[in-house]
Amino acid sequence: MKQAYTFVLLLFFGLLALPGHGQQQPPKLVSGAFNHTPFGQFVGQVEAQTGLKFYFDPAAVDSLFVTVQAQSQPVATVLEQALQNTKFHFTTDNEGRVFVYQGKAIEPMVMADFLSPQPVEASDVAARPDNADLPATPTGRSRYVSAAEYKVYEIGSGGTGRATLAGHIRDLKSGEPVIGASIYSESPNVGASTDQFGAYSLTLPVGRYDLKIRGVGIKNTTRKVVLRGNGKLEIETEEDIVTLKEVVIEAEKDKNVSGMQMGLEKIDIKTMKQVPTAFGETDLLRVVLTLPGVKSVGEGSTGLNVRGGATDQNLILFNDATLYNPSHLFGFFSAFNPDILQGVELYKSAIPAKYGGRLSSVLDITTREGNKKKLAGSGGIGPLTSRLTLEGPLVKDKSAFIVSGRASYSDWILKQLNDKNFAKSSAAFYDLTAYVSHEFNDKNSIYATAYMSSDRFRLASDTTYRYLNQTASLKWRHTFNNKLYGVLTGAYSHYDYNVSSDGNKVNAYELKYSIDQPALRADFSFFPNSRHTVDFGVSSQFYRIAPGSFTPLGDKSLVTPNVLPREQGLESAIYASDRFDITTRFSLSLGLRYSLYQALGPRDVYQYAPGESRTENTLLDTLHYASGKTVATYHGPEYRVSARYSLNDRSSVKAGYTRTRQYIHQLTNTASVSPTDIWKLSDGNVRPQIGDQFSVGYYRNFKSNTIEASIETYYKSLRDFVDYKSGATLVLNPHIETDIINAQGKAYGVEVFVKKLTGKVNGWVSYTYSRSLVRANAGTPADMINGGAYYPSNFDKPHDFTMVGNYRFSRRFSSSLNFTYSTGRPITLPLAEYYVGNSLRVYYSDRNAYRVPDYYRVDLALNIEGNHKVKKLAHSSWTVGVYNLTGRRNPYSVYFKATNGQIKGYQLSIFGQPIPTVTYNFKF
Amino acid sequence: MTRITSPFSRLLLWLLASLLAGCVDPYKPDVLSSPRSYLVVDGFINTQGVTTIKLSRTFAISSLPKVPAETRATAYIEDATGARYNLVESPVGIYTSAYLNLTPGRAYRLRIATVAGVLYASDFVPAKITPPLDAVDWRPENAGMGIYVSAHDDARATQYYRWEYEETWEIIPSVRPVLEFYNNAIIPIRVPYPTLCWGNERAVAIQLAKTTALNKDVVSDFLLRRLARTSERLFRRYSILVQQHALTKEEYAYWEALQKNTESLGTLFDPQPSQLTGNVHCLSNDAELALGFVGAHSLAQKRIFIERGQLPLDWPYNNGYAGCFPPDTLDPKVRVIPFFSSGYSVPVSQVPGTYLISSPDCVDCRRRGSATRPSFW
Repeated sequence: MKQAYTFVLLLFFGLLALPGHGQQQPPKLVSGAFNHTPFGQFVGQVEAQTGLKFYFDPAAVDSLFVTVQAQSQPVATVLEQALQNTKFHFTTDNEGRVFVYQGKAIEPMVMADFLSPQPVEASDVAARPDNADLPATPTGRSRYVSAAEYKVYEIGSGGTGRATLAGHIRDLKSGEPVIGASIYSESPNVGASTDQFGAYSLTLPVGRYDLKIRGVGIKNTTRKVVLRGNGKLEIETEEDIVTLKEVVIEAEKDKNVSGMQMGLEKIDIKTMKQVPTAFGETDLLRVVLTLPGVKSVGEGSTGLNVRGGATDQNLILFNDATLYNPSHLFGFFSAFNPDILQGVELYKSAIPAKYGGRLSSVLDITTREGNKKKLAGSGGIGPLTSRLTLEGPLVKDKSAFIVSGRASYSDWILKQLNDKNFAKSSAAFYDLTAYVSHEFNDKNSIYATAYMSSDRFRLASDTTYRYLNQTASLKWRHTFNNKLYGVLTGAYSHYDYNVSSDGNKVNAYELKYSIDQPALRADFSFFPNSRHTVDFGVSSQFYRIAPGSFTPLGDKSLVTPNVLPREQGLESAIYASDRFDITTRFSLSLGLRYSLYQALGPRDVYQYAPGESRTENTLLDTLHYASGKTVATYHGPEYRVSARYSLNDRSSVKAGYTRTRQYIHQLTNTASVSPTDIWKLSDGNVRPQIGDQFSVGYYRNFKSNTIEASIETYYKSLRDFVDYKSGATLVLNPHIETDIINAQGKAYGVEVFVKKLTGKVNGWVSYTYSRSLVRANAGTPADMINGGAYYPSNFDKPHDFTMVGNYRFSRRFSSSLNFTYSTGRPITLPLAEYYVGNSLRVYYSDRNAYRVPDYYRVDLALNIEGNHKVKKLAHSSWTVGVYNLTGRRNPYSVYFKATNGQIKGYQLSIFGQPIPTVTYNFKF
Repeated sequence: MTRITSPFSRLLLWLLASLLAGCVDPYKPDVLSSPRSYLVVDGFINTQGVTTIKLSRTFAISSLPKVPAETRATAYIEDATGARYNLVESPVGIYTSAYLNLTPGRAYRLRIATVAGVLYASDFVPAKITPPLDAVDWRPENAGMGIYVSAHDDARATQYYRWEYEETWEIIPSVRPVLEFYNNAIIPIRVPYPTLCWGNERAVAIQLAKTTALNKDVVSDFLLRRLARTSERLFRRYSILVQQHALTKEEYAYWEALQKNTESLGTLFDPQPSQLTGNVHCLSNDAELALGFVGAHSLAQKRIFIERGQLPLDWPYNNGYAGCFPPDTLDPKVRVIPFFSSGYSVPVSQVPGTYLISSPDCVDCRRRGSATRPSFW
């Protein structure tokens, strides 16, 4: 926005200078005969003769023709003649600039618009000499966009009553859709926001409107529309270049209060880039972890626990394909290249009916669409990884591609280390993303994404871990009419891991696991009128799991192969939801999703003695189901209800109820998520998980929507989620149901969140008090944990405080400070040793009865931008940071090991000292 | 970035090292550095025989496993009618009763008063009769020697079984020295090493079975022990004593949980442990814990022998001394007295110019067992 001030101030000075300066200078003379000459051509000739520079709106003058005869006459006279009987006026300044504009005077509205958002920062204006030679149209703004703001669009014809206006909001430079931007009219107060394709649909009474467009990372703009009937309006907006260093974490400024959604967090890539990380690499999941209600069991783990839910209860979608392991290197990096990301949305409560299959949250990650106008690239060089992204049009304005890759060079570094501890170590990963979009016509577009991430590491041992994610999705968007569009999505997800050990040739082995999930879905959005937004659709996905194979590696290995049979299942759902604006203050969103799950054969299903704890000893019978036969069926409704009531313009109350069902379970016996965790489908012996969440929140904005505050409280109950019997064996267990139990859980908490979006100091502060408790009291006493009483889950961390702060010294320098504190996670401790039954035994505490030390960390980063010249070879920036500034040794894991007959406790801190980083980013 | 200057690369190395190595610090929360010492009760009330109860204390996990015995306590068995049967301490920490014949079905418990005056009692449990072992069978199989137990209870009163076993086997060293190093000289051996010893080991594993899923109370061919084909225990003569316990449902659950509690925590594949105390409670102080489960049942046992001649001919012989034979030859240049003074090697016999040598473990079978013939052998 600073460039806008420059412009405004220049205008001011220009105006002030008008009466005096314009006449003191020797008048420039013009000669020529113009007969119905286009204004542009006329200006060209005048500029050539006088050296003056003309500024005008090309769109506004496209129908202006000039008829004038001049013989060495002053410019002013010629212009007066030329513009007489038109709506256009002109003005000149003392620097040889001529402004041609419509209306009676320079529109006061323009200035008001530019002045209102922010206070003028005089020092900044003074410090921008390079702006002086730029045109008086706002620096960095295309004249075209300004022009579009003043042009009056006439839409449709002959309509009466209501009409629907639809179209897209796109970025002017790259042609990428702007997601989550809102377009609205202030009177009547009707608005809509763009979907993931940048499409919007707005139904209004016919008439004349000033539509306002607001969104993340775009400049605020308006369109004047005379709506006479249904029609289309494509809107191009400008990237808000200056906000590169600002925290912008949501779309509409008043969305906090006026939006329907609760428990929704949106973060765009610009915000993510400011949060300091351990290796200087922008990390999506790391930023998500700073949000209220989101926790992880420990540092270096990207398993998210959302509002007391387990790590497997998050649906992670990467352009609509499910991702099973979103991390690299055991969780130190998230598996997304920041250069390709558009943003992320996290639904913690009030999950839209469109989504299902996981209990706690939906993390919807979208990539950028690629530059539709010209070839561009970006990249970065960090201490452990480098990345590169290329994007550009395939057919200009119609289709674009974006290809991005990231790789680590830690292997190379390890080789340089002449340390024998590291001689047997290796750690390497990479990820690749490709995205192509193509617009066939107004009605049809397709979008294709391919993604792959791969990891391979071995840490000072002879065991190598490898894991691989592959996803692909293809979307076809078809617009039936302005009120209805549909998206057909086909997606495929694959995850596998592979652990191999070859240290001892005799017992060298390979342990493998894989999951494949093709999915097909059709989603429709229907806008019958301005008060209703209806979404409906169907989806189906097929799971195919190879639950484990343990095979010998090499000729000399004597390992007995052990291959578990495959598991298969089909999950289908239909849904419909309606958002109904009952009054301007009160809105209701009603949704219903009905999901059906079938476990499919071929499969051997074990039957156990009823009323007994399931063990191998109570196994009664084995039933064989042939291929394609249904082994077990589960189905049920999932309710999604939310309501909003605005108390006034600045505050509102929202409430919601969400039920979710989950048919796939992650089995992890370790405290943190590890790549060797397995996913298990529901079957005759493992029931689906069901979750209910009630939430209520109060939202209030302060200081003209620049400070947002919210308090949300929730209560959640979880049924039949998977917990483990004491001493459970999960890897290669052919009858896993004997080691797991269906546990009940409850979680509740209060989340307080304050964020400031603009100004020199910005960022957010969140405090969460929450509990997450588990109870396993069903069945026999042998299946109970802690005697059937509620106990804290692995990720029960009652107090959590996070601050993400950003201070902007100047346009080019800004600093970020992160502060995180949370209660230590629960742990089961071995309390004593004793002899019973001829052997040494360990006496353990109740499960999760103790806690590891509290977690606390401070990070600091300094972002240095290159200069702000619009045209140069490459834009670059440096990020210099220190992770864990105080060097606190936060425990990553606490473990006990028997050495010389003594059991000793150790705590491992991964980032036990301050870690400095430097990253270089570029964009061309 | 094609060339990396030396200081920069050092920085990178340091960064990576800090990632991969991390810092490992001792973890000693207060609860571990000053652990409470709890009474541990190990044993069962033998309803037809001598009851043996071991009393000890828990000890801190970071200390060496030296079991502190609980001495000078008074302990007695009490039945529901109030009758008492006293236990006597002998030796230290082990308390035994006289030969008892307790009434099946009646409830019994163990009561303990420590020397400090703290009172403990186990829950009353019904006295059970352990049915006899029908058979302890053995079968040579591809995977090795399998030892199976079978039992049944026509009254269907047992249902929950636990087995313990104790193995005994002959040990025959390959090398028999005719010399010894004594008083800085090599002399003909005065007392030859024993040529036959008996190894003995009591099993650590907890073996459990239940028949609740069956419509008869029958345990058929429960695999108790698997010995590798190459096991040294099968070299000449092997014996296994199997002891059978009939459990109540609660006692079975206790042993099952104990079986699953492992000793390591925090690594990738470690299961979740559970808190497990048993059925012994402190009467003087509710907060004081006691560990152990005292059941009441009789003991059934059976011993079998397996002779080498009964094994398949193609099974390899292994006396456990494969690395000892043939003996090494001492380098003639080595000076004899300092060499043997270390005690790591012993002379076996004389060969021209030098000696054949071996290690004490190779020649003395008492290091792996006892030279005293067991009474049952």
